[in-house]
Amino acid sequence: MSKPNIRSLSKLDFLKMIPARKQIIEEAPAQTPPPLDSYKANELAKQLHPDFQFLKVSQVIERGEEVKSFVLVPDQEKGCKKLAYFSAGQYLVIPLKIGNAKLVRPYSLSSSPKESLQGKYEITVKRVEGGLASQYILDHWQVGTQVRTIAPEGLFTYEPLRDAKHIVGLAGGCGITPFVSLAKAIAEGDEDACLTLIYGCRTNKDILFKAELEELAQKCEKIKLIYVLSDEPSEGCENGFITADIIRKHAPKSEEYSIFICGPQAMYDFADQEIAKLGLRKKFIRHEVFGEYRNPARDAEYPEVPKDSFKLKVFIRGESTTIDCNANDTLLNSMEKNGIAAPAHCRSGICGWCHSKLLSGEVYVPKTVDGRRLADFDYGYIHPCCSFPLSDVEIEVYPR
Amino acid sequence: MDNHYDVIVVGAGNAGLVAAATTAKSGLKTLLLEKHNLPGGSASSFVRGRFEFEPSLHELAGVGTKEKPGNIYQIFDELGAKIDWRYEYNTFRTIAKGVDGYDVKLPAGIDAFCTEMEKAVPGCEKQVRALFALAKKVDDAIAYITKMKGKPNPLVMITKHGDFMRVASHSVEQVMDALGLSEKARDILCTYWGYLGVPTDEVNCMHYLAMLNSFVVNGAAMPYKRSHEMSLALVKVINDNGGEVWFNSEVTRFLYDENGAAIGVEAAGKKLYAKEIISNIIPHNVFNRSDADKIPQRDLKLANARKFGISVLTVYLGLDCTMEELGIKDYTVFVTTTGNTRKQYNDRLEGSMYIVNCLNDVIPDCTPKGTCSMFFTMPLFGSDIPKELKPEQYKKYKNDLALRYLRDYEDLTGMSIVPHIEEISVATPVTFARYLGTPEGTIYGYMNSGWDNMLARISSEKEDYTIPNLTFCGGHSARSIGYSSTYNSGKIVGDRIVRKLKGGN
Repeated sequence: MSKPNIRSLSKLDFLKMIPARKQIIEEAPAQTPPPLDSYKANELAKQLHPDFQFLKVSQVIERGEEVKSFVLVPDQEKGCKKLAYFSAGQYLVIPLKIGNAKLVRPYSLSSSPKESLQGKYEITVKRVEGGLASQYILDHWQVGTQVRTIAPEGLFTYEPLRDAKHIVGLAGGCGITPFVSLAKAIAEGDEDACLTLIYGCRTNKDILFKAELEELAQKCEKIKLIYVLSDEPSEGCENGFITADIIRKHAPKSEEYSIFICGPQAMYDFADQEIAKLGLRKKFIRHEVFGEYRNPARDAEYPEVPKDSFKLKVFIRGESTTIDCNANDTLLNSMEKNGIAAPAHCRSGICGWCHSKLLSGEVYVPKTVDGRRLADFDYGYIHPCCSFPLSDVEIEVYPR
Repeated sequence: MDNHYDVIVVGAGNAGLVAAATTAKSGLKTLLLEKHNLPGGSASSFVRGRFEFEPSLHELAGVGTKEKPGNIYQIFDELGAKIDWRYEYNTFRTIAKGVDGYDVKLPAGIDAFCTEMEKAVPGCEKQVRALFALAKKVDDAIAYITKMKGKPNPLVMITKHGDFMRVASHSVEQVMDALGLSEKARDILCTYWGYLGVPTDEVNCMHYLAMLNSFVVNGAAMPYKRSHEMSLALVKVINDNGGEVWFNSEVTRFLYDENGAAIGVEAAGKKLYAKEIISNIIPHNVFNRSDADKIPQRDLKLANARKFGISVLTVYLGLDCTMEELGIKDYTVFVTTTGNTRKQYNDRLEGSMYIVNCLNDVIPDCTPKGTCSMFFTMPLFGSDIPKELKPEQYKKYKNDLALRYLRDYEDLTGMSIVPHIEEISVATPVTFARYLGTPEGTIYGYMNSGWDNMLARISSEKEDYTIPNLTFCGGHSARSIGYSSTYNSGKIVGDRIVRKLKGGN
């Protein structure tokens, strides 16, 4: 045997390389490649995250004073056959055109993932004072209304590799909706977890989904239900706000638990202080996104602002429009009111969908909702959904 | 006219960004179109809670330092894109399980690397050095071919660059075998195969050797603020030089004239025209968005002859403890059930190979105090996703896969990882299919299979892509697979278009 040597390989093989390649290419068919959806990974991506879903309202359910649920089903005539599957706790983003305004709103799904396979989503809308979208939906949507939505998304979901198997859900008012979905998913066997749901409302009649929740709790031993009423004492209910003591009383004693919390901003303000008393690790506390940030001026970090109204110049693919914007309104809100369909999904600073370039001017971004990436700060990118103008501002956005 | 440009670049992946930055900087009126709301494709980042994750970059080859710049450093530097580079001066730790297994950690630097190889596999140092000597010969030959503008004198090649011809036309295993490297030494040296996604009995030696050599000579680098930093720096270069970048603007149609030359695209509901179109998106997607009669037969045949390259399963973890508390001492650990790369490839669904990274080892403050992040990566093709998998089964499918690797690594190292998970995200080829829009969620385009290797691609570029005024860049194109390769590809193509439109060298 000769000594190992690179020269044992033929250098003339080099000359065969290109002809061999040519031959292989020559033998391949000269046809247009198959469409993307023909590949499994792409098909699945599209089933889970379609760009749009064309739906229509099939049922309107009165849930309480100024609160309605809307059942949405595929709009077959528009070619929508199936609904995208989701995880309990996710929301549906709905673009709306109201007069001149173009806006989007995220609504938590209160239907279960399993129901989506049967062609049913349900969202619940509560009238918000001055809330353009909620008023429009409650006043205009009826059976047959056509609704275009984005696929469900959001991170307020049970993750078995991360969360404790026992979830203590803290819900406030309309913040109950993702928990209704989660409770159903648990009862239907799609999520393997236990749920102790502590639901804060003003009075008995403000409790949403009362019958559904009680039926779920009765049917499924993994679900426990506690009402906490702030404005009236009631048999079998806790009284007051959701405090550390109430959580301790109902949370499991001998196992770890994760707190999931969803409600109005005022509830977070209170509950976060109470949760802090429990000494839980950060990983066991999950917040749903805060929703629209309001009243930035009450923040301690909010700077002195010379005026309450500014000019906002918006560049869209080389063209520009100038609009007025209020210091109290997010840049996104101002654009939407002026009919600019700026991209947005969560409206809470977190999802990053509205990621845009700030060309000039100063903005205020509340720290608690600043979900930007590190490099965004260096290169002047903002999330308009939680940016408030502090001067005249120029911004570049890309409506879809 | 407003909708007329000198250059339209389709896709803001690494190559598209560099190509557009290069043409814009030369003064050409440039428009970069991107379907997503962020630049970079995989070179991005995402936030979960108090963690910002690097989605894709393991380590960037060919960066080097200000004093000793590699070609990637030069590309960013010449464009004026400022990057805060952080360095890793170990190549990897590689653990093969089993009775004949090994656990070896190799530093960068040829001498240090060879010394440690000798310790791991006594008697191999001479052959390992011979391998790196071949890398030098490859560099010399390429310098000559470049000098000859791609038309080398065959006689000079045969007489002076014979070893280059050998290396360039054989697989890694063939060359290493010819050098007399033992199986164990070969297996350790082949640890990086997953970065190219082709086992070493098939992947072209020249390509693999170039990558290995680069990591050993220069070490690896990564940007301080995840790949998003690199992508935004390049967007800034484009904007500062009068170029436009349109996000959320997917190209839905490629436009051609009656002679079949590319003249423009449709995006955001507009028809946009340019003298030159550069596509960072894969030919498969371009052809599907073109009139069928405009695509030449040869171009279609090439696309159909090719296989899609590797995609991955990646598990991103934000942990509520420090790397010291966990006992992590390495940035990159390769874990295998066998040293043989073909077996690793074939048995990938059985968990035969995965890579574990902890960015805190290179960038200690990449996560908040008291925390660290890890990411696990394993090769997975889009076609490995079970055909019968339904949307409602997907979350469980990916969590089960993730947990298997986490448990395996916990068992191997005795670390307690799962109880510390504060944030987790699991990406699969479905995720890449969603965000990149590539067929089967391929990351780098077409597989660098034996016949479709880098050198063969580069040599055949003129025959491979025949549509006038349309040039491809990115991992799917001539410069082939690899993070650095995609930046290089963008630079080469950008420069070529500048020469074509502006003349000169």
